[in-house]
Amino acid sequence: MSRPLRKLLDKAGMAVCVLLLVSPALLFFLWMLSLSLKFEIDNGAYPPILIPERFAWKNYTTIFEGNSFLLYFWNSLIVTGAATLFALLVGVPAGYGIARMQAHKSAVVIMIARMTPGLSFLIPLFLLFQWLGLLGTLWPQIIIHLVVTVPIVIWIMIGYFETTPMELEEAAMVDGATRWQIFAKVALPIAKPGIVVAFILSVIFSWNNFVFGIVLASRETRTLPVAVYNMLSFEQVSWGPLAAAALVVTLPVLILTVAAQRQIVAGLTAGAVKGG
Amino acid sequence: MASVSIRNVRKSYGPVEIIKGVSIDIRDGEFVILVGPSGCGKSTLLRMIAGLEEISGGTIAIDDRVVNDMPPKDRDIAMVFQNYALYPHMTIADNMSFALRLKNTAKSEIAAKVERAAGILGLGPLLDRFPRQLSGGQRQRVAMGRAIVRDPKVFLFDEPLSNLDAKLRVQMRTEIKEMHQRLKTTTVYVTHDQIEAMTMADKIVVMHDGIIEQVGAPLDLYDNPANMFVAGFIGSPAMNFIPGSIGGDGFTTEDGSRLPLGGRVPAASDGRPAVYGVRPEHFRLADEGLAAEVVVVEPTGSETQMVLRPLGSKAGQAGAGREDRKRELTWVLRERTGARPGEVVRIAPDPARAHLFNPDTGLRL
Repeated sequence: MSRPLRKLLDKAGMAVCVLLLVSPALLFFLWMLSLSLKFEIDNGAYPPILIPERFAWKNYTTIFEGNSFLLYFWNSLIVTGAATLFALLVGVPAGYGIARMQAHKSAVVIMIARMTPGLSFLIPLFLLFQWLGLLGTLWPQIIIHLVVTVPIVIWIMIGYFETTPMELEEAAMVDGATRWQIFAKVALPIAKPGIVVAFILSVIFSWNNFVFGIVLASRETRTLPVAVYNMLSFEQVSWGPLAAAALVVTLPVLILTVAAQRQIVAGLTAGAVKGG
Repeated sequence: MASVSIRNVRKSYGPVEIIKGVSIDIRDGEFVILVGPSGCGKSTLLRMIAGLEEISGGTIAIDDRVVNDMPPKDRDIAMVFQNYALYPHMTIADNMSFALRLKNTAKSEIAAKVERAAGILGLGPLLDRFPRQLSGGQRQRVAMGRAIVRDPKVFLFDEPLSNLDAKLRVQMRTEIKEMHQRLKTTTVYVTHDQIEAMTMADKIVVMHDGIIEQVGAPLDLYDNPANMFVAGFIGSPAMNFIPGSIGGDGFTTEDGSRLPLGGRVPAASDGRPAVYGVRPEHFRLADEGLAAEVVVVEPTGSETQMVLRPLGSKAGQAGAGREDRKRELTWVLRERTGARPGEVVRIAPDPARAHLFNPDTGLRL
């Protein structure tokens, strides 16, 4: 076999493998996109239609018309935003402390909190929130989302702070910095890529959370995943609007990930120590 | 500027004692080098002076003020790390002025000090760059600049040159020495490289296994080593050690050859076992000398280094093992030579510059 042909075959083989690997995720998205653009009649057709002759843009407009979608979007934004913000405020210093003091046991305790099924503390927390008179506000959801976001942030930050060269902090110590100044002026800026990663993951997990919302949210305080679920149960199963709503719900997270990925520049610590 | 006084300092990690009672007096403006093999405790001692490591026993005083419990930031010291430890997210100027900014120094003063340090180290054009954009030598210079800007009482260097290539190392060595001559700041410098120690120090502290083997001026250590460890550690290639015994007015090697002692026989030492130490450059060709076979010839241009295997010793036989290789001698001569491996030469040590050591204690007789 000639060399160029062989190379071409290698490339083609590689492409097929990659396609096979990503197809579950990709096809699922494509099918959702297709569903959201088809009329109900096409959605039920057999053999299935991928690209319809007429696009049903109306699926998208109905979401925004009927279901106080914007309110739910706003709720989601507040809950995810607040839960992520609090998680960063608490989790970044906590991760730093655990990494520097090598408090692996407390890291494990936090992990256990994360592993415990959310439902097991939903009921007690529900009663607590009721007693505090917080039901009907967004606070219960913000607080309970911290169960998800705080451990993520702490664990990611532990990893990042542990890779920060200790010599940098010692240099700052000799330069006259206090513990707090070392954290704020040396450790924190260097851990920026880690903070970005923690932020994104925290947003994704919080944004997509469904279980907490379905229990704690009232009609006014629903978040988007719950709203989408409600479309499924109360109207007849109309796949078009449902897929459109699901896509719209996924979109912010998708955009955020794509945008922020560029900022995760691994080379930030380059030059700090030899070989960087 | 300041003096540093280290009094009977100890350091242990759990049951393991790393530093076993060390005392050093460092005068104001002195350039002191702590040297020794890996794991001898020299870096730990430096970090204790810096305040990065707790002191298990004894005291360290800077300018007669005991600093044992003082955090690093209050000690007024500057340290240059082996890995440079530059802040990657700051420009060179910000790296250098970090300490001053922490102290809320006036902006104009910061600018003046950074400019002066940059001038000394030739960093002027690099001030707006980031550490990752600099070469190893430049980074090292920035690390030094960060120390200079502080104008501290004491400079601490922790193997600052070990990450540089050989040529740059020699150049930076000169620069550091020049800097010290100019600023006259008390300096403590840690290295495992005895050449660095010899060339730069006012005073060398040779450490080994957590104790001080000897303290002295570089040439003093070279000429008058207190024991076999210092004799073997200082100087490159290392001193030749020939086991044997003292007898009559000379020294008899284990295989019966006689070496001269130049009338410096220690009193009442007839027949006493000893180790004869002679530096590679203190041999000369001599008809009456030791007969030895040339094993390797290594010309460097300025001098020639030769590895010799004394004849008559067991090492002479084929298939010499590691034990025999220990008995090989190194000879360094200034002039070039046509000697080839396999040839036999006769060499004699200069008795005036030879040393005798006690084989049990290692101390010089």
